[in-house]
Amino acid sequence: MTLREALLRGRRRPRAWGSGSPTTYRGDGYEFVELRSYVPGDDVRRIDWAATARAGALQTRIVLEDVALTLAAIVDDSGSMQVGRRRRLIDAAEDALALWLESALSDDRVIRVGPDVVVPRQGLRGRHAARVARAPLDVAFDLRSCLETAQAALPRGSALLAISDWHDAEGPRITRLLAELGRRFDCTALIARDPWYDDFPVRGFATFRGAQGGRLVAYVGARERARYLHAVREREARIVRALDEARWRVGVMHESDGAAALAGAFGIPHLGRERAG
Amino acid sequence: MSFDHPWRLLPALLLAAAVLWLLQRAQRRERADALTYSNIEFLTAALQPRAWIPRAMRAATVAGILLLAIAAAGPRMVLPVPVHDGYAFICIDTSGSMQSTDVLPNRGQAAKAAARAFIQQAATGTHVGIIAFSTAASIVQPLTTDHAQAIRALAGVPEPNGATAIGDALRLAAQSMPPTGHRAIVLITDGVNNTGTDPAAMAQWLGAHHIPVYTVGIGTNSGSLIPGTMQPATIDEGALRAYANESGGAYARADGAAQLERVLARLGRVVSLENKPLDVGLPVALFGGATIVLVLLALIGLGRFQ
Repeated sequence: MTLREALLRGRRRPRAWGSGSPTTYRGDGYEFVELRSYVPGDDVRRIDWAATARAGALQTRIVLEDVALTLAAIVDDSGSMQVGRRRRLIDAAEDALALWLESALSDDRVIRVGPDVVVPRQGLRGRHAARVARAPLDVAFDLRSCLETAQAALPRGSALLAISDWHDAEGPRITRLLAELGRRFDCTALIARDPWYDDFPVRGFATFRGAQGGRLVAYVGARERARYLHAVREREARIVRALDEARWRVGVMHESDGAAALAGAFGIPHLGRERAG
Repeated sequence: MSFDHPWRLLPALLLAAAVLWLLQRAQRRERADALTYSNIEFLTAALQPRAWIPRAMRAATVAGILLLAIAAAGPRMVLPVPVHDGYAFICIDTSGSMQSTDVLPNRGQAAKAAARAFIQQAATGTHVGIIAFSTAASIVQPLTTDHAQAIRALAGVPEPNGATAIGDALRLAAQSMPPTGHRAIVLITDGVNNTGTDPAAMAQWLGAHHIPVYTVGIGTNSGSLIPGTMQPATIDEGALRAYANESGGAYARADGAAQLERVLARLGRVVSLENKPLDVGLPVALFGGATIVLVLLALIGLGRFQ
């Protein structure tokens, strides 16, 4: 199954009708599926006269319906995503973003949402689209601003992917915003899991440098370690809960593989790649 | 505090500053190797680190270095030390008014108990003697360094009876004192001098010869009478304070037996100790060094150098 198929199958919003991009739903399009005997009510324009002549009875061509998607993406490229043990979280985010954008076909719109900008990439697809859409926006990242921009600028029914560590994503205001986005769009969230989620590699005295500034010199004993592990799990659980309640698909993204996280969010173990063209 | 070599403070402090600068530099280098965390505010809130530990370590390191710097300058401190040539006479009033029971069991017994506390608190080596006085003064125990013997000798203090010859007691104590040394007289009395030598003149003489008189007034102001007489058991506090002032000593008042014991115990320490400027360079250096070693051990134990 491809991401596009998964998107279409799992759509929660009314579709935007278009052409050239078949869904898995049978309807009015060009993607041939099968021939079957005519049944009253079939569109007469879909009768295959050659097949009818061969079979001696009316045959109808069954095709898949066409839908144009709007694929929007919010990618946190702030300092907090530049950390990682073997690989940076932003690298995993770019994996997921590439897979997301590769699912766009010719009539689909690809949109990169920044804090106060929307970068349309209509007509681009595949790796080229991913490369263009991944270009830095030259604006300091702010998740809430990005979500507000998406709310204001995206057409209803868009598929929105938001990849972030979701720090500072708590509070009633952002909860309302997430719920509103969940109602209007087909939303997917990837939570960039902290590289030190499972294994905090520090004992005793430690100096920490914040990826976005700040410094902390602290003694880390068993008590501090236990508090940290509890807090980091609790935070992730809170975010997942908030996103679930807002009707977002949720995946947890490790630094090792962003694409797998995206697949996980759609509940499928292996995602196929879209055919180029 | 004074210093034998105050000029050494400057290079020592410069050295301490250099060490601190090196520590700061090491910390800066360490900062470059610091673990990068995505969100330091969240980490701080999650860890709730005990910030006092690194602060305490830093403060202890600085204190240890400063102590070593101070030790290098030869510090001297005026501290109380036991005197080697200390002499103290306890003059106990055994006049009739000491039978009064306003201080339980009576003033005389309370004075003996207090004298025992004084002897017990006196530093080892201090010569202690006991004089009892009423109408006349007599030596109950000559000056001795055997404090146990002096305590036993208290049993020989006669029962209260007679007049109050404070001046005679002071004169006898002065005559029995060696001509030099750290000398003092402790006077325990409840009454007014009413016979013998003028105590005020004796106090002046003692003061001139650097023999302080510590006077202790015993008894309450209840207006009780001396048992068996119609005379009030009063204390001439003004006179006792004057004797103490003239001689360079001090006056204290005790209304009860426990308070009297406390006063005498404190006097026991006072008369057998003297303030001397001592060279404290070695203990300061040892303390400073031990502080730094302890900090290092604590830091190793806490994983600072892993």
